[in-house]
Amino acid sequence: MFRDARDYQILFLSLFLCLGLVTRDWTLRPAVIGVAIATTLLTQTLFSLWGSYQAVGNGQTGELVLPATLTGGSPSGRWQLAWDNFAFNWRSPLISALGLSLLLRVDHLPTMALAAFVAIASKFLLKVDGKHFFNPANLGIIAALSFTHDAWVSPGQWGEEIWYALIFLGAGGMVLKRVGRWDTTAAFLGSYALLEALRNLYLGWTWDVWLHRLSSGSLLLFALFMVTDPRSIPNARPARLIWALSIAGLTFVLRNYFYLSTAVFWTLFLLSPLTIALDRLWQSDRFVWKGWAARQSVIG
Amino acid sequence: MKNLRVVIIGAIAVIACFCFARPVLAFCGFYVAKADTSLYNEASQVIIARDGDRTVLTMANDYQGEVADFAMVVPVPTVLQEGQVNVGEPAIVQRLDDFSAPRLVEYFDPDPCEPVRLFDEAEMMLPSAAPQSAGRGAASDEALGVTVEAQFAVGEYEIVILSAEESDGLETWLIQTGYNIPRGASELLQPYIRQGLKFFVAKVNLDEFDRAGFQQLRPLQIAYESPRFMLPIRLGMMNAQGDQDLVAYLLTPDGQVELTNYRTVKIPSDVNLPTYVEDQFGEFYGAMFQRSYERENKEVAFLEYAWSMAGCDPCSAEPLNAEELRQAGAFWVAPNSSPWESNVFITRLHVRYSRNKFPEDLAFQQTNNQEFFQGRYVMQHPFLNGASCPAGREYRRSLPARFEQEAQTLARLTGWNINDIRRQLPAVGVRPVDESDDTWWEELWQRSSQLLNQFATAG
Repeated sequence: MFRDARDYQILFLSLFLCLGLVTRDWTLRPAVIGVAIATTLLTQTLFSLWGSYQAVGNGQTGELVLPATLTGGSPSGRWQLAWDNFAFNWRSPLISALGLSLLLRVDHLPTMALAAFVAIASKFLLKVDGKHFFNPANLGIIAALSFTHDAWVSPGQWGEEIWYALIFLGAGGMVLKRVGRWDTTAAFLGSYALLEALRNLYLGWTWDVWLHRLSSGSLLLFALFMVTDPRSIPNARPARLIWALSIAGLTFVLRNYFYLSTAVFWTLFLLSPLTIALDRLWQSDRFVWKGWAARQSVIG
Repeated sequence: MKNLRVVIIGAIAVIACFCFARPVLAFCGFYVAKADTSLYNEASQVIIARDGDRTVLTMANDYQGEVADFAMVVPVPTVLQEGQVNVGEPAIVQRLDDFSAPRLVEYFDPDPCEPVRLFDEAEMMLPSAAPQSAGRGAASDEALGVTVEAQFAVGEYEIVILSAEESDGLETWLIQTGYNIPRGASELLQPYIRQGLKFFVAKVNLDEFDRAGFQQLRPLQIAYESPRFMLPIRLGMMNAQGDQDLVAYLLTPDGQVELTNYRTVKIPSDVNLPTYVEDQFGEFYGAMFQRSYERENKEVAFLEYAWSMAGCDPCSAEPLNAEELRQAGAFWVAPNSSPWESNVFITRLHVRYSRNKFPEDLAFQQTNNQEFFQGRYVMQHPFLNGASCPAGREYRRSLPARFEQEAQTLARLTGWNINDIRRQLPAVGVRPVDESDDTWWEELWQRSSQLLNQFATAG
């Protein structure tokens, strides 16, 4: 139906947001979602424009053939050209905004604006070899948790109902199949479940304790929609598997031995730089969203 | 505000929570009998005051059996020394309960024929209880793998802090020392031992208890530092049948506390109910709680109150002063500070749990959520005297629909029969449809009465 897998992602994340608003009494206000969306889109626009301006100056304009008179002209001419060459990517910032709205809770709007700004700005500023290595929404959450005193995440908010799990798995599966990153989710969930099972066995809890710990809706949402962001995770499959196993291991340790309720977010944040090393070790083609490849070379 | 009277019936709400929710209750640890009597504690109430890793846990006893038989075993994160255990004031739990209990408020409709000044109208608008925003024998012991880490007496209690290597050894130790612990306890003790938890074991020193002349057991308080913010409930499910109720009062400096491994759901609040509910508010709350619990598939914790301790609106009891807050464990409150300066946020969570829906112990987290919430139920008394002016007739005509609405709300929340509810609604004393011959446009322009007046004057 959609050409771009991100359209499915937007559809599903919006669906979860509506589902949450209707069936889960969250402390989620429409104004907060509005601020998240507006900030991410605005930040993306500004950074894209600037990137485009820089690119025009360097004569790297992708597939556009430029009139000789315009290249290297006056700043206003350069801006004009940058504007003409500017392709607005609205999908990625929207996905980040929806992700933030689903996961992050704030008392005040500026906190959400900060999280949304950091999320998008990180894509442009924290890059190695042209690839951003932090998951934007995750970095936004970490920034809000660290630098403000009115942000929190609610890991218990989705409950453990099985039909939510099925919806998440179904929707996530569709997106991942199109993107080809299901291996990461499988490796993460599989190894995390195994670690929790071993712990359960050691402690001597009944198995319903294990099942309860794994059927958390928030964990599934993370596993299907955040840990799999194809643009920021390692490119090669072996690298991705190692990466997913590391995330599962560190999450397990932070959750069970440091009692961090936000363990998954901190883990992803701490291990994201590992992507760079893993990409060096295993060379592979970088992921590009279908139909977007041509533009990517310009705006990064 | 003379025609706006707010009546708080907090005491009834307390009854609602602890009398109408009458399933057998047990505590977060388990009570063990020294004789073979079946012991169940009636209500579990805990206060947890927490700032950073520092925690003060107050466990209230509503133990009904023979004091001689009382004993409890609670897993705790660290070894506790004598100074870390205290006997609290029994009244403090009651104070917190009264202060945070779901409340019934009442308002009175004004005389519809009296002109109402605008600012009065503003005052009469029902204040929303919806979210507002505002400004946490040694040789044998060794053989059993049980270590007595500390042993001391506090008030009427004798306390032993144990660490153990194996659950069988701990079970044997407890039995040998005279605690008749429930069957199968060893299986449940093992996960706690392996998580490195210690065991807080308390029983009553009868001489001390009799000498002090206490009528009931006083709450036990323990203070410790641990990153673990949890409450063990699994042990407590061993010697109880069916659902159990736990009310936790969580005091933090930052904001609301919520569960991280179960959903935290707000209890239905801020609804208008028929006025006759006043006499049976306890039954109403009990029925509504049970129905909400079933509707949420019996697997959530309910938020009943979340507010800064610096205020309340409406107040169901006097706000706690600094001394009382410190008694409740809020160690960061400076002595003698004004209640308005106290940096304490209270969260009241009501958890009704059973073995099959709550397999895991409760894990909490502090959030910075400053949203206020209270379980608040509104009675709006109609104005039923006279009111013969057009506005009065219009008002009276509107009443049956309003009553019906309130009746349906009550039926929806409690599952009570709608017809039984309707029978108890007040009589308006008007025929809703053909009470007046005036059509609405005549009411609007009042031309017929003007004409009559004109005729009268002309005649």
